[in-house]
Amino acid sequence: MKVLKFGSVWCPGCLVMKPRWKEIEEENVWLKTEYHDFDQEKELAEKYNITNILPVFIFLDKDDKEFLRLSGEINKIKLVKIINENKNK
Amino acid sequence: MIKIIKRAFFIVCTLILFFSVQSANASNNFSDIYFFYGEGCPHCAEERDYLFNVLLKEYPDLKINEYEIYSNKENFDFLKNVSNKLGASVGGVPFLVIGDNYFVGYTKSITSEAIKQTVQKCYSEGCLNPVSSIIDSNIENDDPEDYKKNTEVINFDIEKNIDEKDQNQDIRDENSKKIKIPVLGEINIMSLSLPLLTIVMGALDGFNPCAMWTLLFLISLLLGVKEIKRRWILGIVFIVASASVYFIFMSAWLNFIIFLGFVVWIRLLMGFLALLGGGYSIKEFIFNKENGCKVTGGEKRQKVFEKMKLAIQENSLFLAMLGIIILAFAVNLVELICSAGFPAIYTQVLAINNIAEWHRYLYILLYIFFFMLDDLFIFFVAMITLEMTGITTKYAGISRLIGGIILLAVGLLLIFKPEWLMFG
Repeated sequence: MKVLKFGSVWCPGCLVMKPRWKEIEEENVWLKTEYHDFDQEKELAEKYNITNILPVFIFLDKDDKEFLRLSGEINKIKLVKIINENKNK
Repeated sequence: MIKIIKRAFFIVCTLILFFSVQSANASNNFSDIYFFYGEGCPHCAEERDYLFNVLLKEYPDLKINEYEIYSNKENFDFLKNVSNKLGASVGGVPFLVIGDNYFVGYTKSITSEAIKQTVQKCYSEGCLNPVSSIIDSNIENDDPEDYKKNTEVINFDIEKNIDEKDQNQDIRDENSKKIKIPVLGEINIMSLSLPLLTIVMGALDGFNPCAMWTLLFLISLLLGVKEIKRRWILGIVFIVASASVYFIFMSAWLNFIIFLGFVVWIRLLMGFLALLGGGYSIKEFIFNKENGCKVTGGEKRQKVFEKMKLAIQENSLFLAMLGIIILAFAVNLVELICSAGFPAIYTQVLAINNIAEWHRYLYILLYIFFFMLDDLFIFFVAMITLEMTGITTKYAGISRLIGGIILLAVGLLLIFKPEWLMFG
């Protein structure tokens, strides 16, 4: 499983999510995550159809297929639950 | 010698005659005072109560000419003429003219005594009456009948005043609701209301994410600047410039409203604007549950980011500051559109409150301080910890709802009960 995180420096919600993800990543070292800046990586943002709200978290399976998309501020408990439930994907 | 004595006697007699005639004319002429008020204005009601129930009893010959200015444009124009003639700066009503003396506002304990002394002085020594010359010139220019229609000359009528006394007593009682708070002692709720409204509206306006993105851009760039002093200076310059844009806008709006006068339709217009803004906020709360940051104005954002980068990279600190100031002004002016509802409506509330002009500016500063509080928090945390922090957008929804309800309430009051927004 891999998580693509889309955010930006001007977005307070993205900044709020940064330390939450940092904690999750430290607690789950096996988890692959990638951060992409919405303004710097326009093409990728377009590819994943990110248009309205930031931050956006896209969960990909082993075949790089999207199986879940979350946007806005998400609490850590919910994220951990999702990650644990989809560990084997 | 006799000639000199004769001449001196003649001059003294002439002077005595001149001054006695002057004095007699002035005192004989004095009977009219001019009272400008607004319907629903609590201080006007208080002053009116004093004029009719106290002053008029002591001076039954007094004629009180009343002019309602909120809904009568001619009366308002007349007030402008009178204030120009007297050289008075009239920021609101009540406004009372006694001879060539005038009183702006009313505080029972202070103004009543001053009014009484002035009337006494005018009766005993005589007073000029510059207002009568304006009335005369108006009557010459206009149809006298029209003019009379707008002018109520009230003679003392004790029966009528007894009825009105109870009504005015209620208003007065409402203005002096006091609560006892331990340590702080007795506090007048009405005098707390305007600061409280200022703080609440300023803080809710501050939750508006529109103005935040530029500051976050700037901080992200400043964190890459090695010189600590430069980081702090440029950041503070941006925050002060942003606050200044708000201050200039709100002051200009306040003066615009005051310049237009206490015209009913402006108040109604602002009331409807508040209802629209409130309705929109509540609609957003109900239908837009997503938290997070809305993505808008991509190209504009990129341009600002590039210009900000250039300004910060500028070697000369002075030029960098200048660039930041220009950007802060440009960006905040544009972003004002998305939050103009709040400051404009708040300024309208300030305008209808009968407070000293400099108090209004202090209230604007208080509003801006609470508006900028979250920006200050983010900036200081970032500069101290060297890490960017965001303020959660989780509560944006609830602040939208509270803001919407406040705007709706203020809108309804501006339209139907403006006197409830005139705090004591």
